[in-house]
Amino acid sequence: MKDPLVMAHVNMWAVLRTLEPLCELDDSARSLASPRRPVSIGINVRGGPQATLSFQDGACRMTRRNTGQIKLLLPSPEDFNRMVDGEKNPLPYAGFPRLGFLLKNFTALTDLLSAYLRPQPSDLEDRGFFERSTTLLFYLVAGALAAVANNDPLGRISAAAIPDGTIALEIQDGPCAEITARGGHLITRRRKAVSPRAYMIFSDFDAARGLFDGTLEAMSALAAGKIIMKGYIPMIDNLNRVLNRVPVYLQ
Amino acid sequence: MNTYTYPKNDELLQRAARHIPCGVYGHQGPAEGCFIPIGAFPKFADHAKGSYFYDVDGNRFLDYMCAYGPNILGYCDEDVNAAARQQMELGDCITAPSYKMVELAELMCDTVACADWAFFAKNGGDVTTLSILAARAATGRKKIIFVRGYYHGVAQWTQRADAPWVLPGEVENNLLVDFNDIEGLKRVIEENKDDIACFISTPYMHGNFVDNVLPAPGYWQEVRRLCTENGIVLIIDDVRCGWRLDLAGSDHYYGFEADLLCLCKGIANGYNVSCLCGKDFLRGAVSSITYTGSYWMSAVPFAAAIACINKMKAMDGAQRHLELGRKVCDALAAAARENGVNLVISGEPCLFYLRIADDDSLLLHQEWIAEMVRRGVYLTNHHNHFTNLSLTDEDIAFTAQVANEAFQVLRSRHPEIYQG
Repeated sequence: MKDPLVMAHVNMWAVLRTLEPLCELDDSARSLASPRRPVSIGINVRGGPQATLSFQDGACRMTRRNTGQIKLLLPSPEDFNRMVDGEKNPLPYAGFPRLGFLLKNFTALTDLLSAYLRPQPSDLEDRGFFERSTTLLFYLVAGALAAVANNDPLGRISAAAIPDGTIALEIQDGPCAEITARGGHLITRRRKAVSPRAYMIFSDFDAARGLFDGTLEAMSALAAGKIIMKGYIPMIDNLNRVLNRVPVYLQ
Repeated sequence: MNTYTYPKNDELLQRAARHIPCGVYGHQGPAEGCFIPIGAFPKFADHAKGSYFYDVDGNRFLDYMCAYGPNILGYCDEDVNAAARQQMELGDCITAPSYKMVELAELMCDTVACADWAFFAKNGGDVTTLSILAARAATGRKKIIFVRGYYHGVAQWTQRADAPWVLPGEVENNLLVDFNDIEGLKRVIEENKDDIACFISTPYMHGNFVDNVLPAPGYWQEVRRLCTENGIVLIIDDVRCGWRLDLAGSDHYYGFEADLLCLCKGIANGYNVSCLCGKDFLRGAVSSITYTGSYWMSAVPFAAAIACINKMKAMDGAQRHLELGRKVCDALAAAARENGVNLVISGEPCLFYLRIADDDSLLLHQEWIAEMVRRGVYLTNHHNHFTNLSLTDEDIAFTAQVANEAFQVLRSRHPEIYQG
């Protein structure tokens, strides 16, 4: 069952956070994230997560505070989720001079993100697009892992069983994420893991894509060497339980 | 020393993956079996004899996993196989069960200290599940006390609520205590007064990924007392340890008596039969449960089990297992010491658990195990190992030689850890 509050955390810390790498990977995104003066959007979900997205010099950065110039208030997690799904327009209550960025650039950025995360099959025939799309999916899943582990009731059971330490999540010769577990709480960072205690490595972009799309079954991929797991396996075993819950929120 | 390659194994695994979920599922497969890296391990056997198995590439392995326990006398033991062959000629799966079932039940009750009766099935999980059903039927209570880090099979009641195939209601009556923690057990009993059907545990903690823990002096006697005083059925899951420590049961080995004892792996030297032994007061509860399977009364495994038990008795098998286990552990410990590697060996010697403790990620351990396997000594990464009675001193010397070489490989790869 999809819990609206968990969904709101996934939308914030996985979906919207993926705007950061989008601006690094895509030229048009970089352009959209280059306002004449820095712009920040604070998102306050009542009873849910709060964050600020800052756009400057072609880069996007998310912070865990609601300090944006443009302030968006979402009355409930359900409202926020509808906003992310494009079914509801948010009502800003501050930052009116910069609304143009919100209405044009931000909307174009989220549309672009959707195009990468829910691509047309024909788009994936372009290898460059395929790898960018898979990279963004990788970061989306990495972010969702922490959001689900920290908020979903079943995810929390799995997270509580993850021994403390750092897990390296990687696509070989591709994107990396560091997932740190401490007392059953997970934090995802978009970087190569420092001193990991366990590794989950996809052998290439195709293996990662197959797993994310559900066309590749994890255990068979493991048997075929398309996913490499090593180190302190109880960390990976329990992270995989969380990974099993992620599609509930991302489908 | 040459290291093995596995072209035919790998080709077969690809074929398997096309038609079998996971290729090889469960503990004998690359995923749950922790084949790290996958390329170091054989995936398919061709044949086995004594202490060795041979893979489809013709590589020979001195096998310390013993099919994860069942190989207790040695693969293809001639006496057990002869009994099985003889029974095969007479009939195996027949409409009426063979009289061999009665003979085996009598032998089990003569052999196992706590057994007033014996109930046969196929796998360990069949009888651990029956033990829970029996405890609930007998007590009218619903809660089960487990020891943290337990493994009692794969049925839903053994799982956690976060397993995608488990409904929360199937595990909502599961309680946890730590092994050797009498105060914790008392607390759980007090908090769930009159609602606990059973306490289920292995005779000692032989969990995976962690050093194995033996019972503290007096632990089991106090558990027994608490269970008796509170009307809790005491179930010992002896599926893994059974027969290797004591033919009378591992509860007998540790000086107490279980109400229900689950046996499987060692009973028939690899022929498929499991057994729940129990006290008289639970006979009626077990009789009342509808519980059966198509092959549970097959006669060949019964004949094999009778031959296996009699041979184990004749050889003083459990004592011999302990002696062999000590020799293997001593040899591995000496090789580690000579190479400056901190190898922790825990658990009972005939079920030894290994862990290189020089890093907390177990990566060094996984590297060493891979080098052992590539050189023909089959160990597994994070599960306890098993002895079998066909092991010889030459086999153990070979183990030490391979261990020494594998440690040297580890040292040469990691000068930052193993200096000098």
